[in-house]
Amino acid sequence: MSQTTAATRSGSMESLKHSFLMKYEFILFVLIALIVLFLSITTDGNFWNQGNLSSVLVSVSIVSIAAVGATLVIITSGIDISAGSVLGLTATVVALGGQHGLPLWLIIVSALATGCIAGFINGYLIAVHKVPAIIVTLGTLSIWRSAVFMLLGGSWGTDIPMEFSEWFIMTKLAGVPLIFWLVIVLVLVSGYMMNNRKWGRYIYALGNNEEATVFAGLPTKRLLVFIYVIAGLLVAVSALVSLGQSPIVQSSSGQGFELSVIAAVVIGGASISGGRGSIMGAFLGAILVELVRNAVILLHIQPFWTGVVMGVMIIIAVLVSLSRDKGGAN
Amino acid sequence: MKSFGKSLNQYLALIILIVIVVVGANMLYPGATSIDNIYSMSTFGVEIGLIALGMTLIIMAGGGGIDLSVGAIYALTQIIAAYLMAEGVNMWAAVGIAILSGVFMGFVNGYMVTKLRIPAIIATLATMYVFNGLALLISNGVNIAGMPEEFAIFGQGVMFGNIPFQFIAIYLPALIIIGYLLSRSLFGYQLYLTGTNDASAKLAGINTDRVRLITYMLTGLLCAIAGIIGSSRLLTARPDAGDIMNLQAVTIAVLGGASIFGGRGTVIGTFLSTIVITLLAYICNLININAVMQTGAIGIILIVITLGQNNFGGLKRLKSVFLARKAV
Amino acid sequence: MPHLLELVDISKSFGGTHALKSVSISLQAGKLHAIVGENGAGKSTLIKTIMGVHQPDAGQMFVEGEPVKIANPSVARKLGFSAVFQDPLTYPHLSVLENIFLTDPILNKMGNLDFAAMERKIKPYCEQLGFDVKLLHREIRTLRLGHRQLVTILKALVEDARLIIFDEPTAILSAGEIDHLFKIIDYLKKNNRAVVYISHRLEELMRIADEATILTDGRTVGHRTKEELSIDDLLTKMSGKDMRDYQPDVRLSKPDGSRQPVVEVKQLGKQGQFENIDMQIWPGEVLGVYGQVGAGRSEVALSMFGMRAADRGEVWIEGRKVKIKHPKDAISKGIGYLPEDRKSQGVFSFQSISNNLISVVFRKLRGPLFSLNRRKTNELMEKYQKILSIKYGAPSDPISSLSGGNQQKVVLGRWMAEDLKLLILDEPTQGVDVMTKRQIHDLIKSLAAEGLAVLVISSDLPELLSVSSRILVMNRGRIVAEYDETQDDLAQKLLSSAVGIGGK
Repeated sequence: MSQTTAATRSGSMESLKHSFLMKYEFILFVLIALIVLFLSITTDGNFWNQGNLSSVLVSVSIVSIAAVGATLVIITSGIDISAGSVLGLTATVVALGGQHGLPLWLIIVSALATGCIAGFINGYLIAVHKVPAIIVTLGTLSIWRSAVFMLLGGSWGTDIPMEFSEWFIMTKLAGVPLIFWLVIVLVLVSGYMMNNRKWGRYIYALGNNEEATVFAGLPTKRLLVFIYVIAGLLVAVSALVSLGQSPIVQSSSGQGFELSVIAAVVIGGASISGGRGSIMGAFLGAILVELVRNAVILLHIQPFWTGVVMGVMIIIAVLVSLSRDKGGAN
Repeated sequence: MKSFGKSLNQYLALIILIVIVVVGANMLYPGATSIDNIYSMSTFGVEIGLIALGMTLIIMAGGGGIDLSVGAIYALTQIIAAYLMAEGVNMWAAVGIAILSGVFMGFVNGYMVTKLRIPAIIATLATMYVFNGLALLISNGVNIAGMPEEFAIFGQGVMFGNIPFQFIAIYLPALIIIGYLLSRSLFGYQLYLTGTNDASAKLAGINTDRVRLITYMLTGLLCAIAGIIGSSRLLTARPDAGDIMNLQAVTIAVLGGASIFGGRGTVIGTFLSTIVITLLAYICNLININAVMQTGAIGIILIVITLGQNNFGGLKRLKSVFLARKAV
Repeated sequence: MPHLLELVDISKSFGGTHALKSVSISLQAGKLHAIVGENGAGKSTLIKTIMGVHQPDAGQMFVEGEPVKIANPSVARKLGFSAVFQDPLTYPHLSVLENIFLTDPILNKMGNLDFAAMERKIKPYCEQLGFDVKLLHREIRTLRLGHRQLVTILKALVEDARLIIFDEPTAILSAGEIDHLFKIIDYLKKNNRAVVYISHRLEELMRIADEATILTDGRTVGHRTKEELSIDDLLTKMSGKDMRDYQPDVRLSKPDGSRQPVVEVKQLGKQGQFENIDMQIWPGEVLGVYGQVGAGRSEVALSMFGMRAADRGEVWIEGRKVKIKHPKDAISKGIGYLPEDRKSQGVFSFQSISNNLISVVFRKLRGPLFSLNRRKTNELMEKYQKILSIKYGAPSDPISSLSGGNQQKVVLGRWMAEDLKLLILDEPTQGVDVMTKRQIHDLIKSLAAEGLAVLVISSDLPELLSVSSRILVMNRGRIVAEYDETQDDLAQKLLSSAVGIGGK
């Protein structure tokens, strides 16, 4: 991302040429355009029908919101596979709030707080106690899943006051759900902040060379905890949106969500070993992922192919990322 | 070959844990650990036990090794076997093919990690996706039954009275073989060294890539065997079996003394911690605690154990691991 | 007027090693103060103490007359101290500009990073340094090492550093880049900054130093002003008083040409590390390789051993060309290598002593069923415990329980059990007590007497003089001298060659 913004900042064509990342996101964009084209043709335009398009865009929104946080985590060489459980937990909190007739604002605050707390626990264990991120999030993944089960008592939650969320989904601007526009704004703003605020650059620096940031006296631990809190918060927001799409909570809600999110971030060009990644890329990655899902449905391909294709896409993205790391080195 | 005194301490802690769990269980539910119940436990404990053995080896080999696709291999291999059998293929041939495919899946994982240098987390995350997807594809999303009657022996057979077949004929031999492999064989020796210090091991002429590749292939093998047993136990192969096995396997390995930083771990430790986890799971079932809650408890155990490991010298090793990487 | 930085009687030890013993040094603004000394003289410890990485055990530091405690690198930075190390801590994927301004970014009115202002600020310095402004926006990892060094200097300038330390800066630079660097240093001096320059390249120091302090064995053994500087004098001081009194058991001799060399290296080269390496080693010979840190000796060894592939050249063993791609190839062909850094490359720290000892020969200790034969292991353990007189409690104790000297013996023992034709030892007595040192030297000589070819890479001149039958000197990735005859002033000559003066 430093390259893209560097290019636009200095405005010189010279820098643009050197921007590897710029090229990569462009490739993603082209891929997306091709797939859209392909789908339009092979489905006789069904792709563009309101119901389908909205559904895809909303799904993209849900994944993208969480992917913004996940990008930060992955840039710092971390990982968070508990996102799905946090999603479920948040949704459960909302359902409970609805059941007990709590005022809407309280429900929303509780939901967001849930995400923050879950994120804080992850961040604290990882940054302060130096427990490897994979272990921590493998653990919290199960812990929150149990919490969901315990709170729901094995039944489903249906008293969900998500009209406001529905509103974001149903309202359309230029035929596109409002939430999607908001996500675009989120992506652009957070991308901008990552490139133009000092804390954004600190995050990249952390991922590039943690030792150096400590040496330079930067508040590394606090920054890491903060990143995980943000990631948790954004997952909670994703949860609120997804409840607008389907206002039911069950004990398996959100299962597997983290995989879509991580796939989006990796396909978006982030390096899993940290130091490189862009929010715009993750957004494009999310679109790609959801398009593939949609393609499987529209083309009446067996839905089970989704997993295979997803896994292969991740592997290809990582291999490309690895070869980019090699090129351009001294 | 390991310092005996030290291991005793480690094992002691686990044994005490087992005693506590047993005592506690019997208080909550008299007769929890009756012989019949123990036999019952071991029928499914064997599966996760085998998988945990594989995970232990992978983690011990260091270098950030882990395998998140074990549950998926478990599922895919049983689906393959069941599918073949349902199509009329001879049982032994089907089992053989399924097991070989498991080894191949392990090979794919190992190849990506060692030759393509894809970090283990993401590589096995991706293969988890792929293998799960393939399992769903082949099975069309439904469970497959229709195995020949003889197939039941793997998971439901008994020997010497009521002792489950899989325990005597598969798990115990596996424990012995892998235990031997780890503590006595040349391979095990190289594994310990590779996990302790990757650079030093290479400089001593050890082919660290090959060592790690073998751990992944062995794990694939063990998952496949577990998958056969599992589908035999229920006489059904489920494409979504093995969802929670990742967490359980990693927890068992870590609880049993395998260090995430490599170089430490024993088969006995993994065996004992398998007992702990299996006991816990079984007892939770008896007193009607849902499986989901169990996984939450296991999650807590995992984090607590790793915290404990870290606070006792783990950090120093972490530093030396990084230093070694920088140097060579 | 008080000097910018003054160190008085600074001492620092690490474990049993005294890195600095009562070192006093005084640094003035506008002057270049060179610090000269052999490897291990304490130069880098001194620098790290100034930069706050280490805290002195004794002594005091004064900045402009005021006593200071430099507790960590941040304090050093705030005091205006900056260091240009050989391996700069940078952020590979961030741009040059971001690397420079990361810790002190310029913000605009809205609180955003003002890259344009940063560029404006750094531009004049770029011009002074001859750094292409277009490079500012490139990811720093795409820059050549020489340019990355310039970035570190730019950073020091922008942070308005009062004291800039250069640690062996010319090791990675081409001749043109070196001239350029000296112009920059001139500019720094004119701007009233104090420059500390560590180098063993004595002719360079003659060009730029205003004064010099010579360190030997952690002590300041001399101080010279510009007028007093002379290469011979520096060499004498560097090699130390004991050097001249030292009468090593030097027995240099030409190799027995009638036999075939055991190992021959032809035109070995690796971009950026070493080139044109031609070496022959005869059986029974101890070939010493001397040189300063960064001369490329270990790199050549690692290449021969298969750990890092060379770009070109060949290795021949007993008259036949061999391809070595992995250490196990080297071992199977009869080459062994004792690594330079015992801690991170040699030892398996929490493993047992016996596990460490057999870590090369284990394949030969095969028992039934692919096992590792216990009995054979124990026999081997006992055998080498006696031969090397290793002191330990039990073979199953972790190797970390041994002293440095004993640990080194174990690592050495690992190779002795193997059937080798050539054993490469890289700094074999580093961090080892005096008695063990002597034992290891005796061991080397006896191994050679039995017909083994031994290559000893060492920065310890007396050591090389006492064990070698021939000595090569490497400088800047090349072999620059060979000594195969005992002669006067051998030590001086070796030193000169190593620092790049004169030749054979």
